[in-house]
Amino acid sequence: MKFLMPIVIFIVTAILIALGTAGATRLGATTGITSGSALPGLSSSARTPEEAVGKLLNEIQKRNWAVAYGQLADNSNVDLDLFTRDLTGTNGSLRTLSGLESWELQPLHATNQEAQIRTTLRWSTAVGPIRDVRDLNVVRQGDVWKVVWPVPKFPNLPAQIVPVTYLRWDLVTPNGEGVWGDRAVDAPHVRIVSMNAVPYQNGSVVMGEVVNEDTIPAFVNVNASLIDRGGKSMAEESSFDKISHVLLPKQVSPYRIDFPDVSFQDVKNVRMDVKATLVPASADPVIGIMNQQIESDSDGRNVLRGNLMNESGQAVNIPHVIATFYDSNGRVIWVSDGYVDRPLLPQLPEPFAVELPGPIVGKVKNYHVVVNYYNNSKS
Amino acid sequence: MTRHVLAPGTMVMLALLSLFLLSFRAGAADFSPASTPQIEINPVNSGPRAMEALTQQNVVRHYGRAWQSLADAFDRNTLVSLNDYFVGAAKDQLTGTVKEQQRTGIHSRYLDQRHMVDVVFYAPEGDVVMLHDTVQCDLEVYDGDKSIHTEPAVLHYVVLMTPGADRWVIRQLQAVPQF
Amino acid sequence: MWSSTTTTTPNRSAGRAAFLLLAATGLVSTSFAQTVEMRPPTAAIAGQPNAIQTSGSGEATFYLLGPAHTSKQLVNLGHEIQLPADQLRAAGRYLAILCSSACQSASFFVTAASPASLSFLVHPSRVPVKQENAISGVAFPFDKFSNLVLSPVTVDFQLKLSGGDSLSRPTPTQHGVAWFRAYSGNHAGAAQLVASLGDLSVRRVVQQVASDPCNLRIRAQRTAKGILVETEPVRDCSGNPVPDGTIVTFTETGPGGKSTVDMPIKLGVARVELLASAPAVISVASGVVMGNELRLGAQ
Repeated sequence: MKFLMPIVIFIVTAILIALGTAGATRLGATTGITSGSALPGLSSSARTPEEAVGKLLNEIQKRNWAVAYGQLADNSNVDLDLFTRDLTGTNGSLRTLSGLESWELQPLHATNQEAQIRTTLRWSTAVGPIRDVRDLNVVRQGDVWKVVWPVPKFPNLPAQIVPVTYLRWDLVTPNGEGVWGDRAVDAPHVRIVSMNAVPYQNGSVVMGEVVNEDTIPAFVNVNASLIDRGGKSMAEESSFDKISHVLLPKQVSPYRIDFPDVSFQDVKNVRMDVKATLVPASADPVIGIMNQQIESDSDGRNVLRGNLMNESGQAVNIPHVIATFYDSNGRVIWVSDGYVDRPLLPQLPEPFAVELPGPIVGKVKNYHVVVNYYNNSKS
Repeated sequence: MTRHVLAPGTMVMLALLSLFLLSFRAGAADFSPASTPQIEINPVNSGPRAMEALTQQNVVRHYGRAWQSLADAFDRNTLVSLNDYFVGAAKDQLTGTVKEQQRTGIHSRYLDQRHMVDVVFYAPEGDVVMLHDTVQCDLEVYDGDKSIHTEPAVLHYVVLMTPGADRWVIRQLQAVPQF
Repeated sequence: MWSSTTTTTPNRSAGRAAFLLLAATGLVSTSFAQTVEMRPPTAAIAGQPNAIQTSGSGEATFYLLGPAHTSKQLVNLGHEIQLPADQLRAAGRYLAILCSSACQSASFFVTAASPASLSFLVHPSRVPVKQENAISGVAFPFDKFSNLVLSPVTVDFQLKLSGGDSLSRPTPTQHGVAWFRAYSGNHAGAAQLVASLGDLSVRRVVQQVASDPCNLRIRAQRTAKGILVETEPVRDCSGNPVPDGTIVTFTETGPGGKSTVDMPIKLGVARVELLASAPAVISVASGVVMGNELRLGAQ
């Protein structure tokens, strides 16, 4: 009798495996994947500019760099190494952890001999999708259209010695529990200085700023609970990565907590909770955010653009930009964030752009940007 | 020799019955005599810091779970139950008792617990709370399967609780004749 | 056969016989209970041996259940049952059970011994200067067996602030706890706190740190690359230098847009070189404190 249950489970499992292997599978189509197949080295010709770009991106998606390179219009301008680095990324950047997921093509103009295609590339990365827009020129060579790949520009980093004199904090943890009251080092004192809850796209968003009031670094997380009219908690979320988690003394970070499934009309109250823990940290690297301006990009979307300048001597692998937008009363009305998929090399500027929603733009009177980062190697 | 063959319908009934018995037996492990303790807290006397409503709820919840795990540990003579809600001297003492119960074959039950808890001290930084707990319960002591003691007990405990990573834990649990 | 106590007797003679049988059983039990007595200790102290007096004759099984102890042994009735010190280390309620054909029980309490250690909790480990009731301490006396001493004792709290201020506050324990609150001093540095009870003494250190920056001021000068902006020595309102590593945010607003740099203070000042195109407005902030603004005209 005691073997009855295992026998039943075994039989059911075997039946399910048989059904799974015998049955036909249906996979959804992926945007941007061209249908049909082509043998490596033998590709059918591109008869239109869009087809040329599509075929090129298809090979890039499969990471067939040599095949993709062979499809370019003029290989003498771009060597294979540069072309590959342009697409695969360098220095442990976010691009090195990405894959091309899909793309959209929008012809801008075309003649019999040449055309320009706005290509929106969607990269699937470790931190979510990243959009990359490139205007690709396509030329006709005989009966075949081929893409002219823009020459990638990699900054020339001169050799130099950059002394590191900024402060660093180490954390020593005791062994065992010890005597009660003997080992206590208080958690860093942080404070939420502002909170604003707004409706957004059928959901709710809670945002604001938090400051480290202590004299030591803090690892900070902000949580929010939405309370309904009956006093019950409807949902609880964390700021996740829409916050700069490591705050040095007196450093301010924005935070944004999204509740996409909770209607703002049902919210009666918001309960905030900030947790701070001791963490080793360094005041290096210092990253300057230069020439910030709100503009419209080529797609007509409102973005806050600028340049990041790494003042230190080590590369920052994955920079993360978080922007706070204020109205005329100094109230936080939006927090945007975006990852830069290129590394920040020492002393060299790197552009960034974060989007802000259209309805917010008219209310923005000021903004403040902070840069978070993730490095592959521990400092 | 006669061969007995069960009818298919009978076999199905037996299979269903065995499944039912198996699930019943699995569930029977949950039917432990340690029922959920009832806790009533009175924070009026708490000082020098007034106890926040959310803290009261958490203290009540975790104190109740601590007593439930204590009852479970003493009844089933298992040490695992003591890991979650006890630290320091309280854990050391309870662990020692359970080990000796294991050695002697004794086990005890704290049934139908009703706790009247007074908060008598809440530290200014909120890192320690002292409770006076009057516990009413049915205390049963067994040597193996033989009952050697039964009493409707009224017990008084001085309790020190401190906040852990995600819960309040009992650091000191000391019985006194009266408060 | 003694466990069957519930009977129904429709037959009168059978009922009478059952009644007589039950009465006889009761008499036997009662006479047995009267024979066995336990006299537990009345004032037991943790870690001190004690004894339980028994009466009666024959052998019985003695159980002792305590907060940190459980034991079972065969004893001879009519003699003292010795309770060695190691069985009575934990303060709390003890249950003594004596079983022969029936079981008898008695409970007694063990109280804590004299204080042998102090648990002293002090918060916070870092405190800004000049704060009212910023430092608090709580002390619990324990005996050498980790029992909380509930009888009142007087704990002497002493606080020595950097800058020379000191205070002493003898405080009697209530429910086994003594506590105090104190202000933080005017000067940054280590504050020593000591809790004493007789020969026992526990020391803790609280780091008094500078408060928020006060009168945050910057000056600027043009360089070949741009503008070098530097703060004056950053201090709090009591004149204490703000610790190195504290972040100061420099902001430059000009025709090319806005630029910000978060710089840590080094050797008391924060400085940054901005590639500013004049005209520009340069401001500074640290935490929630704003500093002055500089307006640079066109070159």
